[in-house]
Amino acid sequence: MQQWETACLVVANIIRKKSEAGQLLFQKEIFRGLMDQKVLKSDNREQLGTFEAILKKTMKMNQDLKELLDKDGIPRYYSAQFMSEAYTRILLRKEGNPLLLIAEIVRENSALYPRPIPLDTFKNPPFEFTQEEILTCLQKMSGQEDHQDIAQTRTSIGTVFLYSSRHLDSDYASMLAEWLDVGQYNNP
Amino acid sequence: MAKYGGWVGKILRVNLSTGRIWTEDTIEKYKDFLGGTGIGYKVIWDEVPAGTKPFDPVNKIIFGVGPLAGTGAPCNGRTAITTLWPTCWPKALVATGHMGGQFAAELKYAGYDSIVIEGKADHPVWLSVVDKKVEIKDARRLWGQGIRRATIEISHEIGPGAAVAAIGQAGENLVPMSVVMNSYSHSAGGVGAVMGSKNLKAIGVRGTGSVRIAGKKEEWEKLIKLHLSLLGANNQHVVPSSPQPWAEYYDAASRWKGSRGKMWGASTPAIETGTCNPHDLNRIAYRTNNAVHYLGDIAWKYTVRGNGCTGCPIRCHTMIKVPSAAAKYGIPEVGQNTCGGLNFGRSFFKTFPDGPRGMTGIEACMVGMYMSDDYGIWCNYSQLQRDFQKLYYEGIIKSKLEEKEFKSYSWDKYEKGDPSFLFELLPRIALKEGELGTALGLGTGYLLERWSLSEEEWKKSHGLNYWKLGHPKHHSNEEAGQCGVIINTQYNRDPQCHSHANFTRNGLPLEILKRLAAETWGTPDAVDTVGAYTPMNTGKAKMAKWSLLRKELHDSLSLCNWMGPWVASPLKERGYRGDDSIESMLYSLATGDKKNRQELDQVAERIFLLHRALTIRDMGTKEMRTQHDTIPQWVYEDPSHRPVYTKGTTHLDKEDVKLAMDMYYEEMGWDKATGAPTPEAYRKVGLGKVSDELGKKGLLP
Amino acid sequence: MSHQNKKPEILEEVLSSEGLNHPFSRRQFLKLSGVSIIGISVLEPLFARGETKAPLIIMKQAKGIVIADPTKCVGCRRCELACTEFNDGKAKPSMSRVKVARNLNFGPKGVFPEKHGQGNWGNGLIVQDLCKQCPHPVPCANACPNDAIVVKPPTNARVVDAKKCIGCKMCLRACPWEMISFDSDTGKATKCFLCYGKPKCVEACPAEALSYMAWRDLTDKVPPRVVPTAVIPPEKAAACNDCHKK
Repeated sequence: MQQWETACLVVANIIRKKSEAGQLLFQKEIFRGLMDQKVLKSDNREQLGTFEAILKKTMKMNQDLKELLDKDGIPRYYSAQFMSEAYTRILLRKEGNPLLLIAEIVRENSALYPRPIPLDTFKNPPFEFTQEEILTCLQKMSGQEDHQDIAQTRTSIGTVFLYSSRHLDSDYASMLAEWLDVGQYNNP
Repeated sequence: MAKYGGWVGKILRVNLSTGRIWTEDTIEKYKDFLGGTGIGYKVIWDEVPAGTKPFDPVNKIIFGVGPLAGTGAPCNGRTAITTLWPTCWPKALVATGHMGGQFAAELKYAGYDSIVIEGKADHPVWLSVVDKKVEIKDARRLWGQGIRRATIEISHEIGPGAAVAAIGQAGENLVPMSVVMNSYSHSAGGVGAVMGSKNLKAIGVRGTGSVRIAGKKEEWEKLIKLHLSLLGANNQHVVPSSPQPWAEYYDAASRWKGSRGKMWGASTPAIETGTCNPHDLNRIAYRTNNAVHYLGDIAWKYTVRGNGCTGCPIRCHTMIKVPSAAAKYGIPEVGQNTCGGLNFGRSFFKTFPDGPRGMTGIEACMVGMYMSDDYGIWCNYSQLQRDFQKLYYEGIIKSKLEEKEFKSYSWDKYEKGDPSFLFELLPRIALKEGELGTALGLGTGYLLERWSLSEEEWKKSHGLNYWKLGHPKHHSNEEAGQCGVIINTQYNRDPQCHSHANFTRNGLPLEILKRLAAETWGTPDAVDTVGAYTPMNTGKAKMAKWSLLRKELHDSLSLCNWMGPWVASPLKERGYRGDDSIESMLYSLATGDKKNRQELDQVAERIFLLHRALTIRDMGTKEMRTQHDTIPQWVYEDPSHRPVYTKGTTHLDKEDVKLAMDMYYEEMGWDKATGAPTPEAYRKVGLGKVSDELGKKGLLP
Repeated sequence: MSHQNKKPEILEEVLSSEGLNHPFSRRQFLKLSGVSIIGISVLEPLFARGETKAPLIIMKQAKGIVIADPTKCVGCRRCELACTEFNDGKAKPSMSRVKVARNLNFGPKGVFPEKHGQGNWGNGLIVQDLCKQCPHPVPCANACPNDAIVVKPPTNARVVDAKKCIGCKMCLRACPWEMISFDSDTGKATKCFLCYGKPKCVEACPAEALSYMAWRDLTDKVPPRVVPTAVIPPEKAAACNDCHKK
């Protein structure tokens, strides 16, 4: 049983390390990790069965380890100690539907804080879209009924901000964008 | 052993006219005022008569630090410098400048809680404080040199570990818009010329002593770790600027810039700042990058590292290395500063050829720092630069200057956004050369007077940020509605108060801000969100009072009001709650003088009321509401004429602001009609004698 | 058996157990005569029983050491504050056992503001000075006339025993890196003792510029700050002959 304990520790560690680095894990990635660390010997059927049992036990023993289903119904793993639920939503949506990701993030910001967000946000991690990809998505959105609320505003220094008209009217959104992009820096 | 920890027990007194050096007992005379601004206001009240002018030898300048300075309490490196203010117009009143760096800690290690300087030396001198040995030394060789050379030469004499607070040519020439600086980049605005008027070039401090912690060292360690765990990034922004794996929230405008892939690019080899999980207290220094915050993402590759005050893990001064700027302008490769310092050079220019966050902006930043931090020129929270733009582009400079002088400036370079223009402008301000240099160095109030310009025009302009008495706003209604306006009425320069702005800008969603507001000020309605203001309520008055009191508390304890208070934290498991008792816990354990949050806030109220009393005494009127606590017209106007209290505007309603002032005065226990504290208000905080003196002059309501 | 007879065995046992490369062959060892027993650290129990008054010479290697990365130091000095506040109950950087303040502004060479200077006024690099927990010969311990610097398990750090320290400051003069501190309040020397295996400075650093690692010899890797001017007590100097005389 000590072998199992070690195996569970290794699995937990793998998941936590990857969460710290901002990544969700497939089962096969965890399996490969176990093989790399020589906890499992090969990928024959017997070993697979053992692996599934180890994984199940590890999840049960550790409160912070979570399982999510991605867009294809495939389970993904992360540690809530190192990764927030909000971040997992970004990662999963990014894989499945980048357009919807942009729309949801824009809406979330407009509703929650509330504020518009710079378009450039989507160029940086964890989104890492190119300018073309973002603009293509925005163009598609403007033609879709579901996403008519996604709007743009430009500040006095030319920065483009995105907002949802469901939560912010255009006047307010442009005032906020100007405050976030120019005003705050003139009032350090 | 001394009864209390924290304080080191002695106030250093120096009379430059007579050369007399003596000490006073901190606890005996000043314990009830803590330190910093508390001691500053007390000395001015007791010893500097009404009607004194800033450059009179009788004026005093107090370099005040508090019981927490020099300890391991995070964010304690501040010195508060109190004096009669040269740019306060039309009549000088008491005000404070603040500087960080190493000075505060070194002063404590030398054995002093404050230095009080009076009189005027008959030739340039500098004050040498090497532990208990205090000497007034000849500074004729240093006079006429910049801050940097003065610091180097003094360091040669008293050691490389010395903390040197020095003025540059601006202070020497009695230019009111001047600073004193220590530790390369840490300036205190507005006070340089007072030192200059006393022929005091610098104070050099070396200290090998200690600050005793009264409480058990294990408990102190635990408290320090608690405080560290609640820290965010600079200005107590508690969310990162981009989504991080550990974070629920983020805010593009947050100063928490550290992230995977973002490197201190000019370090050798480059260092990644990483995801900066808030539980990792060994990576606090990687969170903040103010060079990136102000100059844009382009600044990552020029960032060497963070820098800042003694004992502070935040490192809000960013050190940048820009070899191309060095080659182009003949200045050093490395420069460093934060906020106003980084913006000094850039803010003069309306535009740059490559936009506001491009290379030219960085060059202007480097050139600006190089000169302003050596000549010792003050920006008055960038009012200097805003005034300059208006004066130039509206043709006022041209009309006020003789043709010869006007033509001696390369205005085409200025209009193009060429940073080399600063080489023509800044030295002339510091050296008081020409009409433009002289006028700009006076401060806005005296400049308006000299050039017969209308203060009303400044008070109507949205972009100028002007408030009153020759100074700008600092986090007023555009930040925090009525709370911000109240705060801006209370001082004799810009309020230098960040208690409220640190909270409103911390990046958390409105719902959480409201929850924390309810816990701290009694109601979620104490905060609105920017641009969606609601009418005045008592919660906002409470928040205003809290903000002001905590500013004085921080300035007196030596805690950084640009980092505290700590109402919010980055920790989800705490519901993003910080701890509003951090100040009182630190104070109690360090000094051994046990005070809870309310008791310590009462001491802060005493200090704040003394500032109020001084202002009333020196203005010679109790009519504070109408004569002092004034609000400029632009606060009430929206450029697009939107109605008040609708989304999309930050202007306020005049009647509602009147109510705001009523509620504030009521919260303070002051007279509503005059805005003056009542005798009861003074007595409640132990200022009965102050009340009596004001009473004799008819200055009580 | 008298101690005199036991000496070569003891010496050899000690030297091999310390893992030291010694230049003697076994034959040379047996040829040694007139050897006085030196107070090798492993022989402490003998001293405790009062069986010899020989001087203490530290042979045991330290097990850990604090290592600094100057490229990450942000000059906050929280290491100095943690060292003194959490160990001594007072903030006293002048006696901190990790030393940053002296290099903060200009670098280790002093006021050198020229282009290639270090520190906040130079290129920004701040060198953190740390005790190297020197291998034998330990300069500070050897210089102490009272054998007040001893080895403390489990880290085997070289530690000032305050009970034995007479405040003569000879150790301060002996350290080539000027790492010994003096507490003017107590009148005793003090030095880095690795905080019982959990160094406070490492814990306090907000930039991960300090690490606690397995001991390695840094004495030939870091240039000395000063030429030591300590006087080694004669009986200790004589003891050097015991091992190193051919």
